[in-house]
Amino acid sequence: MTDVSIKVTDLTLRFPVYGVDAKSLKKNLARVTVGGRLGASTTGATEVTALSHLNLNLRAGDRLGLIGHNGSGKTTLLRALSGAYEPDEGQIEVRGRIAALLDLSLGIDPSATGVDNIRLRGRIAGMSSKEIEDKMDEIAEFSGLGPFLAMPMKTYSAGMQARLAFAVATAVEADVLLMDEWISVGDADFQKLAHRRLLNLVERAGILVLSSHDAGLLRLYCNKVMRLEGGVASEVKDIRRLDELLAAA
Amino acid sequence: MESGQHMLRTGRRGTLFEFSMALRDLVTSYHRRGLAWSLAWHDVVSRYRGSILGPFWITISMGLMVLGIGLLYAKLFGISVAEFMPYVAMGIVFFGLMAGTINEGCDTFVQASSMLSQTSLPMFTFIWRTVLRNLINLAHHAVIILGVIIFFGLWRVMDVLPAVGGLLLTIVNLAWISMLAAIASARFRDIPQFVMSVMQFAIFMTPVFWKPDAFPDRHAFLTLNPFYHMLTTIRAPLLGQEADGLSYVILAIMAVLGWALTFSVFAITRRRIVHFL
Repeated sequence: MTDVSIKVTDLTLRFPVYGVDAKSLKKNLARVTVGGRLGASTTGATEVTALSHLNLNLRAGDRLGLIGHNGSGKTTLLRALSGAYEPDEGQIEVRGRIAALLDLSLGIDPSATGVDNIRLRGRIAGMSSKEIEDKMDEIAEFSGLGPFLAMPMKTYSAGMQARLAFAVATAVEADVLLMDEWISVGDADFQKLAHRRLLNLVERAGILVLSSHDAGLLRLYCNKVMRLEGGVASEVKDIRRLDELLAAA
Repeated sequence: MESGQHMLRTGRRGTLFEFSMALRDLVTSYHRRGLAWSLAWHDVVSRYRGSILGPFWITISMGLMVLGIGLLYAKLFGISVAEFMPYVAMGIVFFGLMAGTINEGCDTFVQASSMLSQTSLPMFTFIWRTVLRNLINLAHHAVIILGVIIFFGLWRVMDVLPAVGGLLLTIVNLAWISMLAAIASARFRDIPQFVMSVMQFAIFMTPVFWKPDAFPDRHAFLTLNPFYHMLTTIRAPLLGQEADGLSYVILAIMAVLGWALTFSVFAITRRRIVHFL
């Protein structure tokens, strides 16, 4: 593992909100035919600033917890770090293999079998066919689903689906791990297993960025913490000063 | 630079930079072509899961249409079945490829919205997914083509090479049209309906079911129809006729201009596409 790092400089992200109307051609055509004055007031896409002038530097060994109210930009930041959103200003540079555990159901096809879903999800996560086949046994064993893996996922209970999704999502080799809420799925036994696996993953990964509302969880896993408030980030502080940040709310 | 190991995302830095980022997206999609293939294959498998014949159902329905129209129109137009049936068979199958690739292009990004909004997968991957899916379907329908070639003894007269050339040019053109439809449909939800109407109109305006004999050679009605050139460059050689060289030229020019346009649109809108969805 070379120098794993996240470097975010002056990141600003704005979301244009295209209203339902704006998605229809009529409005845009109307603008052309009716003329600019009327159109300008009705079709201009509103922009929401999701993140503004955010700076962040993380190196191997950093485990950053993100706190903040709903809509404060935590998920947006995670998605930007995963490379899905392009910055409007500033830049994001991530060195190392990224694994984003933002949505367990990503790329899951309910009508496909468990095994097919493992393959598909693995491909999306960037594994080669060979890597997936190599890991298949391990994933299958961890999911604990045994013969059910040959059945379509829609026949699974919610807990079983979550187990499989979790097993695949966490099978990746990653240097940078992005998580939206600590994933807790399945029954008590599985939660213990899941917990251990995630810890293992976090230990192997150079950097963890975890967004959570649970202060206890953050204390347990993170060594740094940052607070987002309306898209504006606080300084990155040591986890021991979490209370200060929470109190500032 | 864009690899599994290093990711750089920046704000706008001028047009040239936007084009280089678009190019990087294209190159990355090439490096990860296995993913596009897996997704396309999965689409076909999952669409027909639980069905015994799978995509061959479409083949059967196409075959039925070929049989019906081939016999009926041959009678109505007073053309021999041996001449008309292979003509219609190829028309229907290859037009199916065109209509499928373009119509499904409208869904390309909309369908992939959850993946696009939380991974850094190249956008071109999803374009290839749509194109490859339609090629997989074509491979099934090729049974019909093979059938008429064998049954009507066309293998004695057909010229495969120009047909393959025509098919390649057609695919290159379909890919950019499909991509343009994908971008436009992500932004404007009326586009899919519009595209569907155009394709429905095109199937009757293009010599799929009828022969263009009533028109003098290079009549504007045919020359201005891009689907005519796509179809004729594939079909004529397979029927043992020579396709007009002009059609190949037009397709080549269309491919270059079309890709230049589509790539420019992509370079400019690339950052916004994920927000359109």
